[in-house]
Amino acid sequence: MDFHLQSYGERAVFIQKLSGRRQSCVLNALKVSPPHGFVEYVVGYSNVLVILDGVLSAKRFPEWLSAIPEVNQADLLPTRLLEIPVKYSGADLAAVAKMAQLSIDEVVAIHSGADYRVRMMGFAPGFPYLDGLDSRLHFERRASPRNHIVPGSVAIGGRHAGIYSVASPGGWHILGHSEHPLFQPEMAKGPAPDENAVFALAPGDRVKFVAIN
Amino acid sequence: MRPLLEIISKGVGLSIQDGGRAGWRRFGVPVGGAMDRHSMAVANGLLGNREDAPVLELCRQGAKVLILQDTWLALAGADLGCALKPWRASHVRAGTLLDFSGRQAGLFAYLALPGGIQADQWFGSASADPRNGLGVVLEKGVRLLANQRAVSFSDDRIAGRIAIPDERRVFEGLVQLPLFRGPQFAAFSEVAQNTLVESEWTVSERADRTGFRLEGRELEVPASIASEPVLPGSFQVTGSGQPIVTMVDGPTVGGYAKLAILPEAARDRLAQCVPGTQISFRWLD
Repeated sequence: MDFHLQSYGERAVFIQKLSGRRQSCVLNALKVSPPHGFVEYVVGYSNVLVILDGVLSAKRFPEWLSAIPEVNQADLLPTRLLEIPVKYSGADLAAVAKMAQLSIDEVVAIHSGADYRVRMMGFAPGFPYLDGLDSRLHFERRASPRNHIVPGSVAIGGRHAGIYSVASPGGWHILGHSEHPLFQPEMAKGPAPDENAVFALAPGDRVKFVAIN
Repeated sequence: MRPLLEIISKGVGLSIQDGGRAGWRRFGVPVGGAMDRHSMAVANGLLGNREDAPVLELCRQGAKVLILQDTWLALAGADLGCALKPWRASHVRAGTLLDFSGRQAGLFAYLALPGGIQADQWFGSASADPRNGLGVVLEKGVRLLANQRAVSFSDDRIAGRIAIPDERRVFEGLVQLPLFRGPQFAAFSEVAQNTLVESEWTVSERADRTGFRLEGRELEVPASIASEPVLPGSFQVTGSGQPIVTMVDGPTVGGYAKLAILPEAARDRLAQCVPGTQISFRWLD
């Protein structure tokens, strides 16, 4: 397969311009048979960054990449579905309804009716960027970000839905709150913690929001 | 086991740091670790420790540490006015108060203990990242132990050990740092590409473990991009036209275009630049 490669610093390589399917192929190959000197990878919206242990490993990387197999979607690692209960009472719910020219109930129905997929994670540990937000709810971030957003805040920003995973500042519109812990630092103790115990989600997972009272 | 030192005062910033946590950036966990990896490695090396063993990272001034047992210690990095001099191992008596009273040169000093500090790990690293709930919080009265099992030197081998000149760093004088082109280099105007290397930049007061803001001539800003991975050392240019250099506790992804990235050794050097330091840059081929 041909890839658009770009070096980034002395020992990292971007694989750019990836479709969702090719991104899955690359991630699958990184898990199944990582390249020489592999340290870790980070997933972007339409790319993957591969971090290696040095200049020489980075030089050898294109050779590994050119030889990865084309995989059928069906052969890739199975995806998980997480249902997250949400109490829709967020500070920006009414404002979003007004911007969208919808009722609050309609916003809740649209947000909780969609099938989301974790495209990437970042901003903070465990924060998922979710694809699948209905275009009627695509809005620019708030003009003035909030200084303190509580973990569990279910929010939308641009084309993405997300859930704040740690207390932080942030500019997304808050629609509701979830008690489902996304990141549990106390489970991260030790040399090699279990990722499934620390994080509720991983890139590729599916998410449904379920409205509760 | 008896503790080796006690925190008397935290000062501006005092934390346990090591080589950082690898393998968790895809979940949004920053790599963290020492701001100046080189100085951490030298401090550890002077005691025969693994180069990434946990050390105390001290920022600017005000930290006070009481030594509770006779021991060897090594200090590297910034000279923060402590009686213990950087770039060497020293024998220190029980009851000695190490007072990092004032900055002489540099920003971050690294104090290594024999075997490294004994500390719990989160994601395989003892590095403190308090915003994300990782690492031990050091407060007045906290006592720390050395990792005796990892001690690999004997007193007669370590006495008077001094870092060789190649390993030492001088944090004074003109700072000129090399840059690689960043992933969105081509999206910036030629004027912006040239301005970065042709004008002087000043380290802003807004400089911490997540990022160093630089002040200087305004750079033309290209459109923001779909969020993608960001490495420490990257020059993200925000709407204000001023670069923020991401540091080791900074976010793992971002949506600002990245004009440049520092080589890792140059990032270590930037970490030692106090606010107000003038810096110039040059492109690497």
